[in-house]
Amino acid sequence: MDRSRYLLSQKNQGHPVIGVFPAQYPKEILWAFDLVPGEIWDPKLRNTDAGQHLQPYICSVARLGLELILQGKCDFVSGFLFPHTCDSIQNLGSLVQEFVKPDVSCHFFYHPKAPYGKHSKTYYLEQLRKLVLELERLYDPLDRDKLASALVSGKRVKKAQQDLHELRAKGLLPVSNVEYYRVLRLGEFLLPDDYLRELEALKLRASDSVKGLKQVVVSGVLPNPEGLLEVLDGIGLHIAADDFLSISRRWSPLLDTSPDDPFESLAQSYFSMPPCSTKGSSIEDRLKYQIRLVEKTEAKAVIFWNTKFCETELFDVPFLMKELKAKGIEVLSIETELHQSAFGQLVTRLEAFGELLA
Amino acid sequence: MPLIPSLKYRFVKDVAAPLAMSLRRTRRKARKSNPYLGPPLRSSARLKQIMMRHYYLAGSAKGARPIAWVTSGAPVEMLRALDFYTLYPENHGALCGATRMTPVICGRAEEKGFSRDLCSYARTDLGHAFSGMTPAGKLPKPDLLFCSNNICQTVQYWYKQLAYLWRIPLILFDTPFITGDEISDADLRYMSEQLRDMIPDLERVARKSFDMDRFKEVLHLSKEASLTWGRILETMKARPAPMTIFDAFVHMAPIVSLRGLPVTLRYYNSLLVELKERVNLGIGGIVREEHRLMWDNIAIWFKLKDFSTLFAEQGYNFVCATYTNAWVETTPLINFEEPLFDTLAKTYGLVILNRGLGHRLNLMEGMIRDYQVDGLVIHSDRSCKPYSVGQYDLQRMLEQRCGIKTVVIEADMADSRSYSEEQVKTRLQAFFEV
Repeated sequence: MDRSRYLLSQKNQGHPVIGVFPAQYPKEILWAFDLVPGEIWDPKLRNTDAGQHLQPYICSVARLGLELILQGKCDFVSGFLFPHTCDSIQNLGSLVQEFVKPDVSCHFFYHPKAPYGKHSKTYYLEQLRKLVLELERLYDPLDRDKLASALVSGKRVKKAQQDLHELRAKGLLPVSNVEYYRVLRLGEFLLPDDYLRELEALKLRASDSVKGLKQVVVSGVLPNPEGLLEVLDGIGLHIAADDFLSISRRWSPLLDTSPDDPFESLAQSYFSMPPCSTKGSSIEDRLKYQIRLVEKTEAKAVIFWNTKFCETELFDVPFLMKELKAKGIEVLSIETELHQSAFGQLVTRLEAFGELLA
Repeated sequence: MPLIPSLKYRFVKDVAAPLAMSLRRTRRKARKSNPYLGPPLRSSARLKQIMMRHYYLAGSAKGARPIAWVTSGAPVEMLRALDFYTLYPENHGALCGATRMTPVICGRAEEKGFSRDLCSYARTDLGHAFSGMTPAGKLPKPDLLFCSNNICQTVQYWYKQLAYLWRIPLILFDTPFITGDEISDADLRYMSEQLRDMIPDLERVARKSFDMDRFKEVLHLSKEASLTWGRILETMKARPAPMTIFDAFVHMAPIVSLRGLPVTLRYYNSLLVELKERVNLGIGGIVREEHRLMWDNIAIWFKLKDFSTLFAEQGYNFVCATYTNAWVETTPLINFEEPLFDTLAKTYGLVILNRGLGHRLNLMEGMIRDYQVDGLVIHSDRSCKPYSVGQYDLQRMLEQRCGIKTVVIEADMADSRSYSEEQVKTRLQAFFEV
């Protein structure tokens, strides 16, 4: 499914599109305003203009996102949302708003960082309300029924994602890594009903447990380059669970949150999401979570799939690897650029690693 | 605090440290004079003593006083009120950079898997933690890590590693990024409440009660020292400027790492007197000041001496910098008529790196005007993304708005492996020729 075509068609049906940069943001609020979030993670573009604004040592998520704007490929969006994910996205948001100056609104969403204090949740609630106020200035007042309905949709999506996660973890969803993540990533732009159809379709492909799958857990920012997923498929490494920022780290395990107060419900959702480097989660919490994933999936290894120049992730990798290894879990760290096409040595390393897991 | 460490600390503080400093005075070699630079600042000797004493004492502070490692933008006044002995890994990182030990120390962190793409201050600090290597004697292991992300998010990723390595508490002062012109009520409330809420944890580590009167006293000292630092920087509006920004980079050490202590205010008062004397006598930081420059971003610590000569040779003096200005920019916000935690929250929340690029553009434009600057040198520091992202646009806009010449130097503040002598030389030659 083509992202741009889908989003354009939504716009043409009267649903304004908001370009959303990574990573954590209250999707349900945008849905409640009949807005369609179009997440900007890794547009496939040649770097032509972003280099005039960003240094070579800035990660390609920021660079490609800016490139998308500068090349005019999101001229159809009605606004941008910059969650406060890292220094690069922080300054990118400011650069876009103050220097690039698109003719649309720029919104900023600051989520509190760990270690959380007594007032972190209060502050998160205030940020939700601030976002609502900003959107109300541009669109119609928030319809509480629509928000409630958006939360129900969000809950259905979460349930479907959890079901898939369980099936995958048990080896009951032996579709290729490429196929699995292609479907999961549709959530970056599909509205809930359309996304649920895709998730349900994927669920139908569950089958009896396939023997002999070499299950691994993968940790990183996002499953890009897709070519690497193909490589993993090719050497028989089946991603049984992931700790990707763009995928599982945004799945709150909580389904039954506070029904009376939708903002409270969203806050509970945020604070219950898996630990994440972008939230400042401790090494202990991240380690416990990764070990749980390994145990649940009976995975043989954890692969740290690092996106070049992503400081947020790179800081945590050494201690996580050390501790996992101390617990008898095999680990591997690889680094790629987005849309990298040549894997050369990486394939050799992965093949050797795969043989180690036999 | 336990008796023996306390006694040892007092002995070092009152006897050994003064003796060591006086021995250093007698051992000091005469410096070679530089034909391009003005006479060295007399105050530099006193500064060296202060910083050396600080690191020397640190070696005996463990067990005698609670020790905290602190980020440069964190509200240290909260710790001073509880008598913490504070160390600044960033200051230590600068020292390692200046003494060219960074590559070796970083290597220790890189051996443990920390990527070379990470901030060099962080790698230095982690490398020191793993190896003990340092040019500063012995750094005591902290009892507490105190971090604010108002300067960058990297510090929290970094300090998190230390917290894990040593299993010690980490307190984060989480400062929401300010995109508009003002700080919102919600942001102020969030920050203010964090300051209030951190007190019990600080008290637990310090094993004493937080004294609001002591805190107020410390805040007064901080404010006065910072304002005095501002007056010091303002002397560089004179023509010729009485010192170079490379001097200022060195002399900023106390306001960064000894802020809130009486010694900082005393030192800056005496430095200010000396600089005013030089202004009155027309003594410049360089011999021939024909052009005036602004520096943007953190210093390149291992090139201070080389750059001061290189630019002075060509008649260029750096008279201001966004980096040195950062320790006075928000000081006027300290208002004792307000609730103290609110005023502290504003002061630390509105620092340059916690604000949008539009603010930085206006600030730089104002400095260019006020200091009568002819040119801008931008250090694109690969270790500092919040400072570096947006610089290319700032360069373009300041060229247009102010009609000044500019140059970007791609480097790193401390890791000389990320510095290309030839590339920088070529760029600067072109810059000088414009």
